[in-house]
Amino acid sequence: MRVIVLAALWATLAAVVLGYSAHREARLLRLDSGAIVLGSAPAELARALGRPLFETRCAGCHGARGRGDPGRGIPDMTDADWLYGSGSVGDIEQIVRYGIRSHHPKSWDLAFMPAYATPHPSARDPRIEPLTPGDIRDVVERLMQLQGSPSDAASAARGALIFLGRGACYDCHAADAKGDPAIGAPNLTDRITLYGDGSRESLRRSIAGGRHGMCPAWEGRLSAAAIREVSIFVYSLSHGGAAP
Amino acid sequence: MSQPAPAAADRRSFLFMGGGALIGLAMAGYALFTARGTSTLIVPPEDVALVNQQPISRSDYLAQLQTLYGVDLAHATGEQRHRVLGDMIREELFVQRGKELDVAATDPDVRTSMVNAVEQEMAADAVTAQPGEAQLRAYFEAHRGRYASEGVLNLRDYVFAADDSSTAAAAAAAMRAAPPTPESLAAWHARDSRKVSDQEFYFAARLHLGDALFTTARELPDHGVSAPVRQGGEIHVLYMIENRRPVPFDFAAARDQVLTDYRNDAIGHLRTGDEAFLRKRANILIADDVK
Repeated sequence: MRVIVLAALWATLAAVVLGYSAHREARLLRLDSGAIVLGSAPAELARALGRPLFETRCAGCHGARGRGDPGRGIPDMTDADWLYGSGSVGDIEQIVRYGIRSHHPKSWDLAFMPAYATPHPSARDPRIEPLTPGDIRDVVERLMQLQGSPSDAASAARGALIFLGRGACYDCHAADAKGDPAIGAPNLTDRITLYGDGSRESLRRSIAGGRHGMCPAWEGRLSAAAIREVSIFVYSLSHGGAAP
Repeated sequence: MSQPAPAAADRRSFLFMGGGALIGLAMAGYALFTARGTSTLIVPPEDVALVNQQPISRSDYLAQLQTLYGVDLAHATGEQRHRVLGDMIREELFVQRGKELDVAATDPDVRTSMVNAVEQEMAADAVTAQPGEAQLRAYFEAHRGRYASEGVLNLRDYVFAADDSSTAAAAAAAMRAAPPTPESLAAWHARDSRKVSDQEFYFAARLHLGDALFTTARELPDHGVSAPVRQGGEIHVLYMIENRRPVPFDFAAARDQVLTDYRNDAIGHLRTGDEAFLRKRANILIADDVK
């Protein structure tokens, strides 16, 4: 008899836990991502649940503290600089869900830095022609100038013409080189660099060899609730949340 | 020790059994109406609508609101919400109708899109798996030849008349002793072909010079001079100002490219395997005359 009572109690408890969990997930998922406020009970719970997900799924590339690795083009997620979108929970969630150049049909996949030191810099746009070593040097000087670093004025002037002309750099990075978060083209006028240390050599490498980092899509691999939880955790990293 | 009366014990047993059955039914019912792929009257929380049981993702809906109107849900007007949702439902209805009409059988664009989508899906599986450092290093070691800087050369290609091989040979010998000057070039009746100007990457120099001259040029040291090369009815003498040969990258420098290549190979293998599987399970009949 006691066994039956205990079994019934366990079953009831399990049903309550499952029911509560489903209710909590539903509440979290129905929250408007633009209206999520850190510190609120659902956001804090989601953040706590997102942390272990981040550690197992994301930290392998982004690092345990989410600070990235400029040597590998892994972005720092603890600062306020966002390559794709504005860094809202909704924007982060789209990236977690569909990825970047992840081969998911809905992934961010518009911007693709050509490799200018190759015979065919861009497989997507055959009109983009290779640059010579001198051209690349000039563009690098132009970028140094835009960032306010010491630069060769004559070389930078030639680089500006290439940037706005046959290099077609303006097409993604915009004519003022401030980039475009709608396609993931970085701002080239600040000192925040995704790849390398911002030195002439690291800029030269990016222009010569091209860049096209990727982030996998987790749709179908993580539940919708888990995607939202890890997104809220990532959001918290740049909004005063303690890194793991 | 007192035992409960048999009738009371029976009642209690029935009560527990009934309770257990109710809990079981409730759990089964919940699972039945919320599990993926089953018919349900409840819109799952991650979706904003179900169109013939096909979900319209809440995330996509919010992204669409943001893209079209630059607002989140809280700041969207009722009209904006209805318009976006209406458009998404319309799209889903038309896609479903397209499947009923088997549009893929007739529309080449749909066929191309479907092939691309399936290829992308296969690739997505490959890119999700993050290779370990040891795997990347092993790949790098196995393909070391791929990872080097692009060579750069800066040379002059001097052209001599086809019937003046002795002058070309003398000029080559003189250039080995001292760099050519405009005066000496004029004396030899030589001209700069201007096929190569300033520094050029190896691949560009090969395009501009042609394979034969490039092969000769690539081997020249700084300030080296080639033997006269007869090509295209003219004689060429190459004077190398600077030849920066490709430098092999170490793993750290090549890692980015190694990862890309590794993933591309993985995608290629996966696609080949998936295609083989599809062929194996398919019933393909080929007409005798084209076998």
